[in-house]
Amino acid sequence: MIKTFLVISFVSLFFSPSLNSAEGGPCKDYGPCDQFKPDLNNMASLQRGVGTFMKYCYSCHSLKYSRWGRVANDLQIPEDIFFEYLVPDKDAGPYDLMVAPIHELAIDNAPPDLTLVARKRTSSWVYTYLRAFYDDTSTAYGSNNLVYPGVNMPNILAQIQGSQKLGCKDVPVLAKNGGEKRDEFGKTITKEKCGYLKHQDGSGLLNVEEFDEFIYDLTNFLTYVGEPSRAERERMGVYAIIFFIIFTFLSALLYREYQKDYH
Amino acid sequence: MVTKVLNWINYRLPIVNTFERHLSKHPVPKKVNFWYLFGALASIVLILQIVTGIWLMMPYSNTEEGAFASIEYIMRDVDYGWIIRYMHTTGASMFFAIVYLHMFRGLLYGSYKKPKELVWIFGMTIYLVMMAEGFLGYVLPYGQMSYWGAQVIISLFGAIPYIGESLEVWVRGDYYISGITISRFFALHVVALPLILIALVFLHLVALHEVGAGNPEGVDIEEFIDEDGVPLDSVPFFPYKVLSAMPAIGVFGLVFCIIMFFFPEGGGYFLELANFEEANPLVTPEHIAPVWYYAPYYTMLRAIPDPLGGLIVMAAAVAILFVVPWLDRSNVASIRYKGILSKIAIVLFVVSFITLGYLGTVTVTETGKIMSVICTVMYFSFFLLMPIYTSIEKTYEVPERL
Repeated sequence: MIKTFLVISFVSLFFSPSLNSAEGGPCKDYGPCDQFKPDLNNMASLQRGVGTFMKYCYSCHSLKYSRWGRVANDLQIPEDIFFEYLVPDKDAGPYDLMVAPIHELAIDNAPPDLTLVARKRTSSWVYTYLRAFYDDTSTAYGSNNLVYPGVNMPNILAQIQGSQKLGCKDVPVLAKNGGEKRDEFGKTITKEKCGYLKHQDGSGLLNVEEFDEFIYDLTNFLTYVGEPSRAERERMGVYAIIFFIIFTFLSALLYREYQKDYH
Repeated sequence: MVTKVLNWINYRLPIVNTFERHLSKHPVPKKVNFWYLFGALASIVLILQIVTGIWLMMPYSNTEEGAFASIEYIMRDVDYGWIIRYMHTTGASMFFAIVYLHMFRGLLYGSYKKPKELVWIFGMTIYLVMMAEGFLGYVLPYGQMSYWGAQVIISLFGAIPYIGESLEVWVRGDYYISGITISRFFALHVVALPLILIALVFLHLVALHEVGAGNPEGVDIEEFIDEDGVPLDSVPFFPYKVLSAMPAIGVFGLVFCIIMFFFPEGGGYFLELANFEEANPLVTPEHIAPVWYYAPYYTMLRAIPDPLGGLIVMAAAVAILFVVPWLDRSNVASIRYKGILSKIAIVLFVVSFITLGYLGTVTVTETGKIMSVICTVMYFSFFLLMPIYTSIEKTYEVPERL
């Protein structure tokens, strides 16, 4: 009886809507973040990602906890090629930290370091943020971001992505219980809601799918650099788990054998 | 040769006798359930924390400028540094999880009943020291949550009338949290508190071995003994108890590895995401939440609008655990033979504690506020009403033998 009561109280606790209503998710005006699934064993993707990072991000953003040699090695890029084509600072060696030139000057309000951005904000946030810039003439840079409203950063990838504008679309009206409201004919009631991203076709170098892939690679790289040992961790974990399964099984057999002595 | 050396030593230092008395031949009740395994698991995690802690200390830098970067250095540049650190962080959460289950076992089966009051009190002191140890350790990486968590906790001292403000400065060693605070927290975390912890664990075990381990029936096994004075319902610790602990260690290792290798952040509950950013005294994180194991007390603190009142309630919530042996007036130890009132009380207690924990990790809402007050009252009622409900209810007869 007690157990049933416990179960019921737990279940009712986590289903009570008033407790679970999380307002204002991490992706702000965008709504729920687009889910990102990293693929840290996909070397081609990571290599493209580091290329994009060095070309478009590194002039303002450092990866100051990461070292050049480690990245080259983990991403299976031969060091001579890596240093020739990807590292702008010709004096940098494999054990140097990836500090952008801008961070060697002491400026207030310098662009943030991005080594841990994917850990702090989650990869899904990074993936969504980089695709959520839109034209906004009211800001200094002429662009704004749905995930980070008022972000103090120009839309650096505008040329590649093309132009995005805010538009409106019809969305279902939600009832108080979270379900969709329907009229007497059973059709979903909708209303016009604004604040959605609308891509202007053909305005960028890449189309929408290609750009998503481009950002996927970049986010994948940022996920890697947030925790470079993650792929190894997950590989090792499998062996550790197999070990403990065998250990538990064998020790349970031994325990059963000895238990006969006193039962 | 080995026997000769052993005899030589044993004549001067009773290692063999001590080993037999406290380990190999120590009699333990033959029938216990899984609740009785958490003590052994806790000691394993304690050893793990000490060993990994020593290794983490070597590359860690206890300075304001270097602390955060040295953690990333451990995670990236130290060979297998990441595995040592994740063991330590996962170990911290697991330590609390195990200790909470171990304490709950005590409440379920009356492990504090005469003559085990001191075992219980030493245990509670261990828990108290662990909470301090966990807090100090959480400050060391010097991320945003380390900094702002420390800010919240240290400002609690400020709520004490008259001496509050000077006490705050004394604890920090500075007017604000700085490198001085980090290095003193480091000293306390790696030397002072672990020493106290080990001493307390030693006392906890010596006291336990003096009065004997309990069992889920609440039967006193010392009443029926054989001609050598060994209880009839007991088995020697080695090999029987060691072997019964082995599968538990296996399952625990499995859970530990699943978390450590696949979910080291524990969904933001074990390693909070905001702590992946270096401490910044100028920017407050959007939502300051404690790690899950302090969450119930944090909710109680927030439930009371007045800071001093909140502090008193929070301190009382821990302090009241110490006097449980004198609050329980029941003539039986185990929940199995207690009456319906005790059973209802313990269920409500569990519900309130878990709800308090959940509320401590989310942002405050109106409903949440009311819930936290209700659950705080429920939490305290469990203890304060204990003398009443344990004495008026009808208990069942305890069998003589296990």
